[in-house]
Amino acid sequence: MFRRLSILASLCACAGAGLAQDLSTIQIHGFATQGFLYSSTNNYLSANTSSGSLAWNDGAVSVSDTLSDKLRVGIQLHMYQLGDLGGPTLQVDWATGDYKLNDHFGFRAGKFKIPIGLFNDSQDVDAVHLWALLPQSVYPTDNRGVTLAATGGEFYGSAKLAKKAGTLVYRAYAGSRPLDLNGGYVKSLNLDLQGLDSAFGLSATLVTTAPSGTVFGGDVRWQTPLKGLLVGSSAFVEDMHGSAGAVAFTISRNTVTQQYAQFERGRFFVAGEVKRVPVDFFFVATTPLGPVRVPYYLDWRAWYVMTSYRVIEKLQVGTYYSHFVDTRGAEGPAPIDNYSRDWTVSARYDFNSYFYGKLEEHFIHGTALGYYPDTNPNGEQPRSNVLAAKIGFSF
Amino acid sequence: MKKRRFSILIAGVVLSCAAAQTAAQAQNVVIIVNNEVRATAASSDDIRGIFTGDKSSLGDGSRVTPVTLKGGPAHEAFLKTYAGKGDAAFRTGWRNLVFTGQGAMPKMFDSEAALVDYVAATPGAIGYVSRGTDVGKAKTLVVR
Repeated sequence: MFRRLSILASLCACAGAGLAQDLSTIQIHGFATQGFLYSSTNNYLSANTSSGSLAWNDGAVSVSDTLSDKLRVGIQLHMYQLGDLGGPTLQVDWATGDYKLNDHFGFRAGKFKIPIGLFNDSQDVDAVHLWALLPQSVYPTDNRGVTLAATGGEFYGSAKLAKKAGTLVYRAYAGSRPLDLNGGYVKSLNLDLQGLDSAFGLSATLVTTAPSGTVFGGDVRWQTPLKGLLVGSSAFVEDMHGSAGAVAFTISRNTVTQQYAQFERGRFFVAGEVKRVPVDFFFVATTPLGPVRVPYYLDWRAWYVMTSYRVIEKLQVGTYYSHFVDTRGAEGPAPIDNYSRDWTVSARYDFNSYFYGKLEEHFIHGTALGYYPDTNPNGEQPRSNVLAAKIGFSF
Repeated sequence: MKKRRFSILIAGVVLSCAAAQTAAQAQNVVIIVNNEVRATAASSDDIRGIFTGDKSSLGDGSRVTPVTLKGGPAHEAFLKTYAGKGDAAFRTGWRNLVFTGQGAMPKMFDSEAALVDYVAATPGAIGYVSRGTDVGKAKTLVVR
């Protein structure tokens, strides 16, 4: 009996020691933000911003564990609310097993953030940006779920080039991507479906199953020999299928391309990106007279330039110009709907290592981005200024 | 012409002072590693890459895990010399890796003594302390 107890006690001690060791490698981090949007005319990003809106918050918690010097596992849960978009449902932002053989080769499997350009994979992580809203031409907040993450596999690594030629950092991935049912893309789809259903005399339907499709692509960035200068290029190939009632919709396979450069030296930062999104999209409505195909061809061109300066350790200021145009030409809607130009000035103050605040003003011309007809029932004005303020906490 | 030469002279003096300041800061901080790490030297690019999360091994292939101080003169000197950024930007860089699923935050220590103890006891650990600090059983890495 004593022997059994001794063995049991030894096992418990070993398990306890093992557990303690394991727990010491577990990391828990998170962030939470609360924002305020106030616009001079149009309601922005599906919120009632012309009256001032607090319906803008998000938060995340990540848990990760380093199981060995090569293997790490982790998960991040995220929730957000932005006007009509998002909600209290927790979503898996990423959840991966990450095996890094060496600096040249690593592999992640699971749900991973998609690397496109400078900020695609971090666009829902407010704590790491000066800006309350990233340049909407390239990173539309209401549609971020379209390119944010995929479920599949990714390999990554870096290679030092010949002496004094810098370093290449590369990532390539493939997987599937279901859309966020509560995101802006599905909201726009539902508004389009209302029009189609009405035109063809079909009963009104909404998208209730997340449209999905395959994605693959890669990102290569060159850390040049000039300290702080980075240039890169990304390609993102996607398709998508979905349906709602008697209407099916499809995005044929297309390639989103993005080129970018950034220079960071001391307190100074400057960056710019160019993005092209050619999309061949069509609805097929099953009407009493047979199937009717309604095509849409979109060719979005977007770019921005930004600069910022850290005035003191706790205060960072910056400005950007963001430009978006749909070059469909004559087939497009009225010119005001075809473009968006946004001058932005911004400041961020870090109260300490955990708390920060942001204040930002947008001077927007054109209505191609961020506006929804149901939240602007009287139409949209060509110009609208938007004040964005945020407080955040990160640990 | 004289004015132009004077401007060039002033610019040269300013640049020299900046270089001398950086060199002085580099001399104020030393890189330490666990004794089991094979490498005895590393390039400043390697050090920057490891402490910004871009790399996980030194030039000779030795795998290392960075640990940092929470603040203080040695921390500031290290960031200025090797990372080229302040503490807020440094932490933001790591948060970016953590919240996008690409990395784990380095362990942070309140004191140099605690950091030395951890590095000495943890295989693969790499950190930094003020020059002259007793590094115990840890090993000082020569930075080229």
